[in-house]
Amino acid sequence: MASDQTPKFSVSDFIAVVNQSLEYSFGTVEIEGEVASFKVNQGKWVFFDLKDATGSVNCFMSLFQLRVPVEDGMKVVVRAVPKITAWGKFSLTIQSIRPSGEGSLKKSFELLKAKLDKEGLFSPERKRSLPEIPGHIAVISSTSAAGYADFVKILNDRWGGLKVDVAHVQVQGESAPEQMIRAISYFNQQEVLPEVLVIIRGGGSADDLAAFNDEPLVRAIASSRIPTIVGVGHEVDVSLADMVADRRAATPSNAAQIVVPDKKELTNMLGQLVHRVLARTDGIVDDFMKETKATLRQGWTMLDMRVDLLQSQLVTSRQVMAAYDPKAVLSRGYAIVRGEAMVGGEITIEQQKRIITAEVKNVEAI
Amino acid sequence: MSKQSEQKTVSQKMDELSELVAWFEGDEFELEQALETYSKAEKLAAEIEHDLTNLKNEITVLKEKFDA
Repeated sequence: MASDQTPKFSVSDFIAVVNQSLEYSFGTVEIEGEVASFKVNQGKWVFFDLKDATGSVNCFMSLFQLRVPVEDGMKVVVRAVPKITAWGKFSLTIQSIRPSGEGSLKKSFELLKAKLDKEGLFSPERKRSLPEIPGHIAVISSTSAAGYADFVKILNDRWGGLKVDVAHVQVQGESAPEQMIRAISYFNQQEVLPEVLVIIRGGGSADDLAAFNDEPLVRAIASSRIPTIVGVGHEVDVSLADMVADRRAATPSNAAQIVVPDKKELTNMLGQLVHRVLARTDGIVDDFMKETKATLRQGWTMLDMRVDLLQSQLVTSRQVMAAYDPKAVLSRGYAIVRGEAMVGGEITIEQQKRIITAEVKNVEAI
Repeated sequence: MSKQSEQKTVSQKMDELSELVAWFEGDEFELEQALETYSKAEKLAAEIEHDLTNLKNEITVLKEKFDA
């Protein structure tokens, strides 16, 4: 028999009181289990059961809250608020869900990778080149992480005069992806965009690095107006954020090596450049001198030929002149006769060695 | 070092140096200008080296909070 002390409720009130009790008792809880009967309704709502060997509980969430691919059989950890629905059904209202255990993480990674690959997000044609020598870069990382310290050390060792804006964010845990997305959005909304966006995090377990396989984060990196470089974990760690970035760095240190050139190498290169210019100028001067010498030599040859020709002409002229010399004719026995060729006239006969004066006795035409 | 030159970034100076070097290797090369251009290139290379040795990175951790 019910006493007067027994509480009485309307159905709605009872549900409200139970929900209040649940909220006081648990608030938000994390539960690990295996996904079963996973389905998406109307492209908006996600329903599934979370179960283990002996128990099962209904789960509900909005599709936009689902940041990683989930399918039946995957082991997950859900962050949820337990509730009784208006229809009296016990359910977990999921706030977030993440794969749990190596197998599920890998499965989730592969599912999302296949999905994004199909959309062409990893295509080489999408990759933009990074500036060779940036003047302004943006960094998204946790400033307390070892990876960040490595990055800064290598950056300062390699280059100077760089403006570096750093967004301090969480790089692991549930809120990490959203914080990184906000930082990406912040830098992409600047009036003067940084030339490169660097996202870095040091090594960690697969679970630690899971934030970099978050679908909205991967899409935010893909849609960044600023060219991106992502260096997460160690060489062997591959995340979807790495794959979608314009450039993948094996580690945060490697990101610094990629983002700026090494000033020591550049200084050597400068020396080589100046040397090359000097060698080129020397070469050109040498060529000019050789050409000038050759031209001069050619000039002298021409001059020699002209002189030879003139000398030869002179000899010929001399020979001709000698042939016409009257003395030469006289030497051959001829004589030059001067005076009037008339009977009784006086003439002179010039021979090589004497001149004879004679009287003309007879003149006959031949 | 000229005031105008000081205002240029290392990257801009590198571009300028590359242009000067390209002039030496291009068709517009003239021996009469070579000495002047070489002096310019040598000076620019020294400036870049000086900048690289002395410039420090300006790292600013933003005050903005990115948590919700």
